[in-house]
Amino acid sequence: MIEELAALEPFRQEVRAWCAAHVPTNWREEQQGGEHDRYAEFGRWWGSELRAAGWFAPHWPEEWGGGFSVAEQVVLAEELARGDAPRNGLYQVSLYNAAPAIIHLGSDEQRQRWLPGMLDGQVWCQGFSEPNAGSDLAGLQTRAVREGDHYVVTGQKVWTSLATEADWCILLARTDPDAPKHKGISYLILDMHSPGVDVRPLRQATGASEFCELFLDEVVVPVEHRIGEENGGWNVAQTSLDSERAVVILELSERLRRNGLEAVIAESAQWLLEGGGRAGDDAAVRETFGARYAEALVLRRLINDMIADIILGGDVGGTPSVIKLMYTELLQGLMRDATDRQGLAAHVDRPLLLSAGWETGSWMMDYVNSYGWTIAGGSNEIMRNVIGERVLGLPR
Amino acid sequence: MQLSVDERDELRISVRRLLERASSSEAVRARLDDPVGFDAELWGQMVELGWLAIHVPEEHGGAGAGYAELAIVLHELGRQITPSPFLATAVLATRALLEADNEALRAELLPALVAGEQRASVAVTNEHGSCDVSQLSVLWEREGGGVRLRGTASFAPDVVGADTLFVAARAAHGEVALVAVEPTAPGVAIDPMAMIDRTRRLARVTFDDVVVAEEQLLCDPGPRSQSVVERLVSLGAIVVACDATGVAERVMERTAEYAKERVQFGKPIGSFQAVKHHCANMLVAVEGSRAAVRDAIDALDDPGSDLPFAAAVASSYVGPAASGVCGLSVQVHGGIGFTWEHDAHLCLKRAKLDEAWFGTPAWHRRHLADTVFPAGTPR
Repeated sequence: MIEELAALEPFRQEVRAWCAAHVPTNWREEQQGGEHDRYAEFGRWWGSELRAAGWFAPHWPEEWGGGFSVAEQVVLAEELARGDAPRNGLYQVSLYNAAPAIIHLGSDEQRQRWLPGMLDGQVWCQGFSEPNAGSDLAGLQTRAVREGDHYVVTGQKVWTSLATEADWCILLARTDPDAPKHKGISYLILDMHSPGVDVRPLRQATGASEFCELFLDEVVVPVEHRIGEENGGWNVAQTSLDSERAVVILELSERLRRNGLEAVIAESAQWLLEGGGRAGDDAAVRETFGARYAEALVLRRLINDMIADIILGGDVGGTPSVIKLMYTELLQGLMRDATDRQGLAAHVDRPLLLSAGWETGSWMMDYVNSYGWTIAGGSNEIMRNVIGERVLGLPR
Repeated sequence: MQLSVDERDELRISVRRLLERASSSEAVRARLDDPVGFDAELWGQMVELGWLAIHVPEEHGGAGAGYAELAIVLHELGRQITPSPFLATAVLATRALLEADNEALRAELLPALVAGEQRASVAVTNEHGSCDVSQLSVLWEREGGGVRLRGTASFAPDVVGADTLFVAARAAHGEVALVAVEPTAPGVAIDPMAMIDRTRRLARVTFDDVVVAEEQLLCDPGPRSQSVVERLVSLGAIVVACDATGVAERVMERTAEYAKERVQFGKPIGSFQAVKHHCANMLVAVEGSRAAVRDAIDALDDPGSDLPFAAAVASSYVGPAASGVCGLSVQVHGGIGFTWEHDAHLCLKRAKLDEAWFGTPAWHRRHLADTVFPAGTPR
């Protein structure tokens, strides 16, 4: 892997130079206190910049404008993080969740139908979780009743990010209520402009309304909008590749180290201690952040080695779950440390940077927001069950 | 010559096979109260199998592999909590000689160490346990071309029975020296220290006007000697992190096995999430520790690396992670894990000593902070 990365040095320099020329230096300030519409507009603009550079969907097959090797994707992710580029967050569901399912398990017709729109910047959202199906996702109750060449879908989804912006939604719905719960679910693609779709923004703990509730009342979905077999949707929902997830977490962890940890450290140099002096000169503060820095480097090594294993075709086993735990708990721990060390001053409310991930510009609000990371994507308790049962072989 | 992935696996299997037999729980326990504290027959086998020579360059009679290969042995010694002078002789003292500018001394001593004919150790820790070179408590002053030593070094490993001791000392004006001393020389007193981890033998070494000839200096006193001593401390920190990772890995495996077998309330305790999550946390800590050690070992094999930085990352992460695994193991085992007859306490004690040895995580974290974000600088 090291040789492969060395050969990519020219590409690295190209991305670095591109970032220097294209990443607006003031994008954080510009987005501070921004309304949701402004965030979406900014996200669409940034997506078009990446598209123009040819880096919008690097992990897709070559025929669809991707074809980047895993090593090239790593370099791209590292350099975008290094250059403090905005995240391509508006397109996370289309590029990393919907597309893998359609590319790997969809028909030619389905690929022709949806992939070009994704590349053109259509926004997608994900309708998986429900009020009564969170960690127990397979217990979902939204019904899709087959009526000839279409399904009639009724139910309620929640935590649907960016549903107000979305043109399409990947939806899990129950097509066989009598089958065992994992075996009665189908994976459907829902046109968000269909009659019977009602989107209501859901205000989060941070005050932002990135998530939505999605109410579906007898919405018609054509059968040809189903990916994979009827009742085979559970497996379709697990389609994303190890390498795709690995590059995403690599980019997140690089951003956490560069824009999170290093920003906390730089700021802390100015924080005033109650007894006089500055936090950056205090031995206990320095020890705390020294420890977090070590954690960030260890996490990075773990991700690097996992990516090397993926390139060599090895089995990554339970490592992705380990990395999810380490990343989210480092994030939460760091935000808590920053809040605690900043003291009372951390609690002053101020305009937030919307939807930039955890980087709201307020460490206290990032700390509140960090619970989104330890809950979403399989709560950390579920991750520990997975590790205990699948890696260590403990009984259920 | 680096080994291939397959060759490393073979080495790991052969090391594990020998140590599981020769360093079983019974064998380890047989040495707990023994003043020498290790099995001479097993030491002889290590010598014969070439473990001491793995990382020594071929021109010095070694196999010319790297620390990546040596780390396999160190990790397995941790897994079996093997009492052994391997750390002192094969790692620290060997490195001191490889770093030395004194070629005559190296030519005289290194072949004997690699061949297992002699044992050696280093004294780089001050009398209170600090490994910071500014705190060395053996003092030196010029005596002709050589030096005169006064003062005490503590926590020196496997000194009893060693033929040579490499001593780090500090002059009144702060310059550091690194000199070879025979532990039996007049004025040298060795007091074994009673340690809670009985798989280790550490000693306090006192120098009462010990005169050392110029030929026994490893390097010129001053910055050169200081940097060698600092690298020895870094090496020590990385090696104990490697040991602790081995300890924690085996402890995790045994704890998971126990959680599958032990039945309470009519079920294996591993089916209870409170226990299952303890075990999952152990795995996270072990995977993280292994990654941290791989990173640090790479730094040992890379002449251009910042070794104190690599050691600081390893110590900061692995120290509490590995000892935390051992603590959880006692907890998950419950009452049986709290008995003397169970090995859980031996592992906990060894991992906690590893954590504090060659610089505590707190000391290393401050070094890390000093490197990444120097204090008092305007931003």
